Amino acid sequence: MIGSRTRLRAALLQKRRRYGIAGMAAPRAHRGDGYEFSELREYVAGDDPRRIDWAATARAGTLQTRILQEDRALTLAGALDASPSMGVGRTRSAYDRGLEALAVWFTLALSDDRCARVRANGIVADPHRRGPSAAHVCLAERAEPQRSFTATLQVALATLSRDASLLLVSDFYDIDEAEPALRQLAVRCDVTGLLIADPWRDGLPLAGFVRLSDAETGAQERLFIGRRERERFRQSILRRETAICRRLENIGVRAGVLNHDAELALMQSFGIAGGVIA
Amino acid sequence: MTFAHPERLAIVLLLVAAFALVYRSIERGASQQAYVYSSLAFATAAMRPSRWPAVAVYAALLLGVAALTSALAAPRLLVRVPVKDGIVMLCIDTSGSMRATDLVPSRAEAARAAALTFLGAVPPGARIGIVSFASEAVLVQQPTADLDAARSALDRVPPPNGATAIGDALSLAVAQLPRRGTRAIVLLTDGVNNRGSDPVSAARQAALDGVTIHTVGVGTNGSGQLIPGTTEPADLDEETLRAIADLGHGTYVAAKDAGGLASAFRNLAGSTVWEARKVDGSTLFAASGGVMVIVAFLAGFAVGKWP
Repeated sequence: MIGSRTRLRAALLQKRRRYGIAGMAAPRAHRGDGYEFSELREYVAGDDPRRIDWAATARAGTLQTRILQEDRALTLAGALDASPSMGVGRTRSAYDRGLEALAVWFTLALSDDRCARVRANGIVADPHRRGPSAAHVCLAERAEPQRSFTATLQVALATLSRDASLLLVSDFYDIDEAEPALRQLAVRCDVTGLLIADPWRDGLPLAGFVRLSDAETGAQERLFIGRRERERFRQSILRRETAICRRLENIGVRAGVLNHDAELALMQSFGIAGGVIA
Repeated sequence: MTFAHPERLAIVLLLVAAFALVYRSIERGASQQAYVYSSLAFATAAMRPSRWPAVAVYAALLLGVAALTSALAAPRLLVRVPVKDGIVMLCIDTSGSMRATDLVPSRAEAARAAALTFLGAVPPGARIGIVSFASEAVLVQQPTADLDAARSALDRVPPPNGATAIGDALSLAVAQLPRRGTRAIVLLTDGVNNRGSDPVSAARQAALDGVTIHTVGVGTNGSGQLIPGTTEPADLDEETLRAIADLGHGTYVAAKDAGGLASAFRNLAGSTVWEARKVDGSTLFAASGGVMVIVAFLAGFAVGKWP
C-alpha cells in the first residue's frame, strides 16, 4: 500500500488537477526512467518491456506495466495568510491550522527538493539545504507579521522560480484584491490553494443578541441570531466554500477546503479521495 | 387620557432620555464581550439577521420606562363604566303600520330583534322597562334589573294593530321612572302621532323631570309603503321625532333597515346605561411599565436562545 504522502508527491509531479493553463489542460504526467514507483497500469503497445511487472501480471492475468516517476527535484513553497482574520478560531486559530497544512506540505520534500516559506516580509529558505532539512527551516519560525495576503503573494511572484509548487493557505476573504497576483502565480507556478474552513462551519454556536467584531477592521455590530439566522449562515458557509474553490480553479489554482485534517484536504485538492486517485 | 400633574411630564421625558443614554452607554461598554469573527461583512450578509427583535426589545424597554415614570404625572384614564342606578324605558310602536315588510321580516319583528340587541348590550344592574303603544299605551314590563325577565316580556308585546299614540307612550314611560337617577326613554316608532296626547308636550314634561329621550324612526318617508289593510301611507314624522329628541337632550336615529335598527339600539345601550368616567391610572401605568421592563430584559436574554 502506498502512503498518502507518496501519493501526494506523485500527484504533484503529475501536475494533477492543474487546470486552465495553456498546454496543461489535462493532468500532465512526468513519467520516465526514475526509481520512484508511481502506479501500475495495463500494458499498452510501446511500453518498455523491461518495465513489465511480472508478479502483478501473474496476479492480474494481463500484462501490467510499472510506471515510475520521473526522477527530478521539486521546489516546494508554502505561503500562509497572516492577515488578522486568520487569528480567528474556536479551539485553534485558522493560522495554526494553516501552519499544520504547511507542515504536511513540506513533508513531501525528498532528498533534492528545495523548500521555501513565503511571507509578507520575504522568503524563509536556506539555499544550501535540500529535502527535509530545508523543510525544517521553513517551519522553524511560526509567527509572522500580520499583513495582507496580497503582500505575501507579491513576494511569491517576485522570488519563486518558475514551475515551483506553491501551497497557499488562506481564508480568501480578500480574494478580489488578491486575484491579479493569483492569476500571475498560477501561470508561473503550480499553485494549490487551501481554503481554511470557517471556524463556525459545523454550527454557529451563538444565539440571541450577540455582538460581533470584525477581525480586520475592529468594527462591531450587535446582531440578533435565531434559528433562521443560524441556518442561513450554515448554508452561506457551504456556498462560499464552493464558490471560492470554483473561482480558484478558474484562476488555475487547484483548490481544497481545509477543515480538520490538513493531509485529507491536500489529498482532496489533488483529487485523491481516501487514498485512491479519483 | 389626561394627567393630574402634567408639569411632571417633563421629568418623565428626562428620565426616559436618561435611561436611553445609559442603556446605549452600557451597550457600548459591552464591546469587550464581542465575538471576533473573520469578516463581519460576510457574517451579516450570510445571516441576514432580523432587526425586529432588537427594535422590539429596545422599544418595549423605552415604553416600559415611559409607562413606569408616567405614573409620576398621575395619569387619568377615561373608561366606560355602567351608570349607577340607570333606568331605561323602551317604548315600542305596535301600530298597524309595523306590519309593513320593508324591514325583513317585518318592522315589528325587526324592532323586537333590536330590543333584544339592546338588552344584550346593557350591563348587569341596569334596569329596563318596556312600554308598547298603538291606539293606547300599555306597560309591558316595569323597570327591572332582571334582564331575562325583560327579554321574556318582549314576547308579551302585542301584535301590530291600531293607531299611534306617541304622546301617551311617553307619559306612561315617564310615570314608571323614579324622580332621581339616570333615566332615559328610547322611543321606537314608524308613524305619525294620530291618537292621544301631544308627543311634544309629553317630551317637554319629561325633559323637565330630567329624563333623556332618544328616538328611533323606522322606515322612510314617501316610500309608497301603505299601512297594511289600509290605504294610508306609512309615513314617518321625522320632524316630530327630532323635536322630541332635542327636547329630551337625546338623539334621533333613522333606521332604514333591520341592521341599522339593531345598530342604533346597540349604540343607544352604550349611551344610556354606560358612562365615561375618569379614573386614576397611576398604579396601572406603574405596574404595566414595570412588567414591560422586566419582560423586555428577560426577552433580551432569552429570545433566540430558547426554544
